[in-house]
Amino acid sequence: MSYKLPMGPFHPGLEEPYKLEMICEGETICDAKLHIGFNFRGIEHLAETRNYVQLIALMERVCGICSFIHTLTLCQALEKLTGLELPPRALYIRVIMAELERLHSHVLWAGIAAKLMGFKTLFMASFAYREKVMDMLQAISGNRVNYSMNRIGGVNRDIDDPATLRKMVDLLEGEIARELVPVFTSSYTAKSRCAGIGILTRDKAQSCGVVGPTARASGIPQDLRRAAPYAAYAEMEFDVPVETSGDVRARLLVRAYEILQSCRILRQAIAKLPAGEFACKEAKLAFVTGTAVSRVEAPRGEVVYSVSWKENSRTPSRVHVRTPTYVNMPAIRWMVQGARVADAPLIQASIDPCYSCTDR
Amino acid sequence: MINSEELAAELKVNDVSTDVSGVKWLSTGSLNLRELVPVLNRTGARFVTITATELPMNQGFCLEYLWDLNGQLLGFPFYPAGNTMPSIYDLCEAADWIEREIHEEYSIDFTGRVYEPLLLRDNDHTGVNLHEVAK
Repeated sequence: MSYKLPMGPFHPGLEEPYKLEMICEGETICDAKLHIGFNFRGIEHLAETRNYVQLIALMERVCGICSFIHTLTLCQALEKLTGLELPPRALYIRVIMAELERLHSHVLWAGIAAKLMGFKTLFMASFAYREKVMDMLQAISGNRVNYSMNRIGGVNRDIDDPATLRKMVDLLEGEIARELVPVFTSSYTAKSRCAGIGILTRDKAQSCGVVGPTARASGIPQDLRRAAPYAAYAEMEFDVPVETSGDVRARLLVRAYEILQSCRILRQAIAKLPAGEFACKEAKLAFVTGTAVSRVEAPRGEVVYSVSWKENSRTPSRVHVRTPTYVNMPAIRWMVQGARVADAPLIQASIDPCYSCTDR
Repeated sequence: MINSEELAAELKVNDVSTDVSGVKWLSTGSLNLRELVPVLNRTGARFVTITATELPMNQGFCLEYLWDLNGQLLGFPFYPAGNTMPSIYDLCEAADWIEREIHEEYSIDFTGRVYEPLLLRDNDHTGVNLHEVAK
């Protein structure tokens, strides 16, 4: 006989509120339904009442972890509507910030995954690495969560001491490559806990339209930094890690390898950081009437902003935000089918869900 | 995989424009949405999102369907008549949540599907993003 087992909206296995309603037979999950909206703040509607300065501050608060990515995507759209050409130094600083944010997000996720695996030592170690990434973000921006780095036409702060930043990246990369990545790629605990569970096949991943590491772990080699480069990514050399097994372990491996690739990009961006201005000098912005769509590869996958503006208007006529978790989350239904109830928290966490992003 | 020009030719769309952000917009004058989706699925295009916009002076809505074809964004603007639009959920699973969201935010009815609450709760009023609600 089947029974319903709710997980959430408030549950120790969830970082934020959402509800996974599982239909089980014995210990096996037969099907599941997802319920979101517990963090719905009406941000898109609110955006229509904000001028472009206020808009950046508002959209920075869509997500606590990808706050830089959200303002980057928004500013890219607004720059297209104003026709601004950014100085090269601003583009490189954006790459550095975006990769530090990816490092921060992946290391944070590694800690949460380790906790759900019952690997508490790794959880503590991951959060210690995360502190070091946050120290770097703070050294550049002065902030640890909402960085206030992006502005229309560039960034708000320069990187004054790239040599010290390079040393911090080298040190962190060494520690992560020596201690964190090998645990995920070759430890028996990680393998036995993650291999073969929460499988999302390539076909299902395609029909769900999943993005980011979730897609790449199911054999879809899609990464906007490569497919549709923005900022200074066209000048960076990096690999896009792809796994084909589609299970939790594949998602773990993709993120572990991406951490190393982020360090590789950071080293290049710091070494090649061009001299010059870090923002345009235009005193007044002139928006043209139209819609601009901007996309960025966030740590969890593609973020899309569609911004419409009317000439001489103080506020946008429409801001639509499509976050990566919004398309990755429905796939959890297929990942948990046939899984054991005890694996559900780890499976749902393997997409690195962000519910406040999703609900907006 | 085919490119956007070949896709436009297959769909017999002559009117293709590129906006400031590089999105290629294909005129949907003669296109049927439910006939378009299988073609896009066959080409390997990935559904990205639908942006719903309320037009000024009660002119209705514009629904912009965005797809990614090899890193190129393709846009298909549709103007639903009488606030109804055929659902593509049965043809494109990825459109499920965004159709439900647009239904809740703009009271647009996607025909041929059932709704469950997404961002709102049972018995909440739909149309929370409509301009008249803001007033």
